Amino acid sequence: MHSNRYTLIFAMAITIVLAFFLSLADSSLKEKYEKNVEVDIRKNILISLGFSPTDVLLMNNENVESIFQNSIVGFVVDNSGSIVDNKLPQDIDPNVDLNLYPIYKRVSNNITEGYSIPISGKGLWGTMFGYFSIEPDGATAKGITFYQHIETPGLGGEVDKPWFQNNFVGKRFVDENGTLIGIQTVKGQVDDTSKEAYHLVDGISGATMTSRGLNQFLLKDLKLYDPYFSKIRTKRNG
Amino acid sequence: MALSKKSKTAFTDPLMSNNPISLQVLGICSALAVTTKLDTAVVMSFAVIAVLSVSNTVISILRKMIPAKVRIIVQLSVIASMVILTDMVLKAFFYDISKQLSVFVALIITNCIIMGRAEAFAMQNGPGRSLLDGLGNGLGYGLILIGVAFFRELLGFGTIYNRQVIPESFYQAGYENMGLMVLSPGAFIILGLIVWAQRIIGKVEEE
Repeated sequence: MHSNRYTLIFAMAITIVLAFFLSLADSSLKEKYEKNVEVDIRKNILISLGFSPTDVLLMNNENVESIFQNSIVGFVVDNSGSIVDNKLPQDIDPNVDLNLYPIYKRVSNNITEGYSIPISGKGLWGTMFGYFSIEPDGATAKGITFYQHIETPGLGGEVDKPWFQNNFVGKRFVDENGTLIGIQTVKGQVDDTSKEAYHLVDGISGATMTSRGLNQFLLKDLKLYDPYFSKIRTKRNG
Repeated sequence: MALSKKSKTAFTDPLMSNNPISLQVLGICSALAVTTKLDTAVVMSFAVIAVLSVSNTVISILRKMIPAKVRIIVQLSVIASMVILTDMVLKAFFYDISKQLSVFVALIITNCIIMGRAEAFAMQNGPGRSLLDGLGNGLGYGLILIGVAFFRELLGFGTIYNRQVIPESFYQAGYENMGLMVLSPGAFIILGLIVWAQRIIGKVEEE
């Protein structure tokens, strides 16, 4: 039988040794991991802007970089909806620039094909992060993706599945008067004959809290960008 | 180096005649969760093999120093450190798959196979034999996982390792992928059939 003293010293020693190895591994792998996260975010921006998910997911890091450079233009808008010159999305310091918002625009042959904005907010278990894309008309959803969340797999976790995300494509988040109303998930399936169906999407059964959170933070984030997109809408309507 | 008979059985028994999943019915949770497709099942198997063989070896080396009063906690901290390390390596080198495996890599900590082997085998046997036991049990776990995933992916998606194997003409003739196989009950059914088949072939009798 070992003495209490020995037990304590042994427990301390093994904790220190294991913690040392883990922090060693963490500091040597961190850079690679962070790079992966960055590429993953870019992949999400591409997918939300209409690139095929199966193609994008099979791309290696360099391919993603080059497509991103060729067809995505990043810019920054302020809370009055004006574009801020000489600032890029990566220059935004979230602690200082509270009123600056990044937008990623998909461009091909000088024609804008859509805008992608970051969205984030509370689901059931934690904060969900994703991108929401808007058609060049400034009023129609082009796509939505989530790259980080801790919702229950199979329930709230379905937000990162194509069947759920495809529901958003083509939905409108402004009403006929041009007022922002967001896009809401409903319980069960959307009645397509309803007058309201243009801003409703099918909910996830068993994930009411996740869906409710999504409704709220999507509207909150669209509000931040509305000065910019309402300008686009007025320009289009003459 | 010739292996003694006991070392050999430490490695070969868990592959078939004493398989951790199908005979001891351990580690079922992850066997159901990560077997919708082969790629996740393969990566999960390697993760478990790595954790199991290293933790078994480390615990076996320490077995005479570990105070009996805190042995379970010491085993757990060795296992947990290995799992965190594995998770970090997956995130750095196989980011997409590690996202699909999500919490299940972290949950290897609670996989009964690993705690079970540490307590039942590594605490009584030398490091070499414990390593073999870890490898054997990890491979036995992996074999079943890959077997289940093979049928689930084939029947549920019509693919093997993400390549389409069921020809388009089948679908046009009215063949449909089995949605049940994508869900957990599909895994239960396949696993049940594997356990059944193995008990018939191996002539296992319930005690």
